[in-house]
Amino acid sequence: MNNGWIKYIAVLVLIVLLQGLVVNNIEISTWLNPMIYPVMILLLPFELGTFITMGVALFIGLSVDAMSNTFGLHASAALLIGYLRPTILRLIKPRDGYDGTLLPTVQDMGIPWFLVYSSILIFIHHFWFFTFEIFSFSKFFGIILKTFLSSLFSISLILLFLYIFYKSSRK
Amino acid sequence: MRKLIRFLGKFRDFLIFFLLQIFVLGLFFNSKYYHKSRMVNTSSEVVGWFLEKKHNITKHFSLPEANDRLAEENALLKSMMPESFYKLQDRYYYIDDTLYYRQYEYIPAEVISSTSNKRDNYITVRKGRLAGVEEGMGVVSDAGAVGMVVDASDHYAIVKTILSENIRMSVKHKEHNEFWFMNWDGSDNRIAQINNVNRDVDLAIGDEIVTRGGERFPSAVPVGVIDEIISVDGEQTLSLNIKLSVNFNSIFEVYLVRNLFAEEQRLLEGDLYTDEDE
Repeated sequence: MNNGWIKYIAVLVLIVLLQGLVVNNIEISTWLNPMIYPVMILLLPFELGTFITMGVALFIGLSVDAMSNTFGLHASAALLIGYLRPTILRLIKPRDGYDGTLLPTVQDMGIPWFLVYSSILIFIHHFWFFTFEIFSFSKFFGIILKTFLSSLFSISLILLFLYIFYKSSRK
Repeated sequence: MRKLIRFLGKFRDFLIFFLLQIFVLGLFFNSKYYHKSRMVNTSSEVVGWFLEKKHNITKHFSLPEANDRLAEENALLKSMMPESFYKLQDRYYYIDDTLYYRQYEYIPAEVISSTSNKRDNYITVRKGRLAGVEEGMGVVSDAGAVGMVVDASDHYAIVKTILSENIRMSVKHKEHNEFWFMNWDGSDNRIAQINNVNRDVDLAIGDEIVTRGGERFPSAVPVGVIDEIISVDGEQTLSLNIKLSVNFNSIFEVYLVRNLFAEEQRLLEGDLYTDEDE
């Protein structure tokens, strides 16, 4: 387990830098704001308690805030999905429960499960984020559009990232 | 009994979640409405260091354009008389009030990070407190007004640009000095908005809008030109769409404006105004 945490922390640093220096500068349009760092919340071990999950998520969010001049917005959205993750995991639990030796990656859990898992959490995350970023009733359609387009982009980035940096834990 | 314990556990989780959210959203709304930074941001030494390293790699792609603009600006300035000096004519000098004559110094700074497609857009520059940068300073570029400094560390500073919600920039019409507050609605990063414009003002598309001048900016720094006049039947006031002179998609070098009379003005105005506006 220790080895897993060391890798996790190393990847976390990489992801925060990647988000701050590269992904933040993908400025294709005002309607597209991709984020790759939520993958680090998705990747936490299955059985991690709510309290620690929230703590890790908050830390990740604040780090990304520091690089993005968003002053707490990323922290807020990350905290939200950190809080909701255990509930969502319980809702989409496969028939036999979760295998403690595996991670919530696409290689370990299969594409269908992972797409459901990541879509739910990423959509919620992005919706919360854009709602507060824009914070206007009249722009509700804009918020939905931004959420939808950005989520698609983010999930694609996350899948790409997982395929490159992670492999199946099964022997 | 076990259910009660589980419920209390969940309640504790929710309570912690709720309190942390209040804290974190509090920090966020502070930055939106009060133009203050209470959080680590890109002006921190650590973050700034990473940004600078990345900038050193990617800047080469924009060096030709940045250099051309600097050379052009040099040529223009050489042919102009400096206007930001305190003039003494014969034995008379005008002191209308402290709002009239200003003396401004410009601190040049390289932009190492910028955004232009978020709701609030900031740029990070490679000058900080050690170079004399202070929170609240106005920032301009060769093209016009850019924004104001909201936080600075020893070597870096962040500037809240015009492309932000609630920026409330003090602007005026260049010809007849009618003044208003300018904001940005987040839709197009070349166009800003002025609302609540009196109907009986003389306006035409193409009219220049400049800074009003004051503590942050010298007077008459270009802000933009009127692009559209929006008149809704039944409403008492008009709205204007202003095409900004600064293109925030390609901004490489800025100048932070130090107002040498700022301290004097602040002491004089004292508690008259809170420093939330402008």
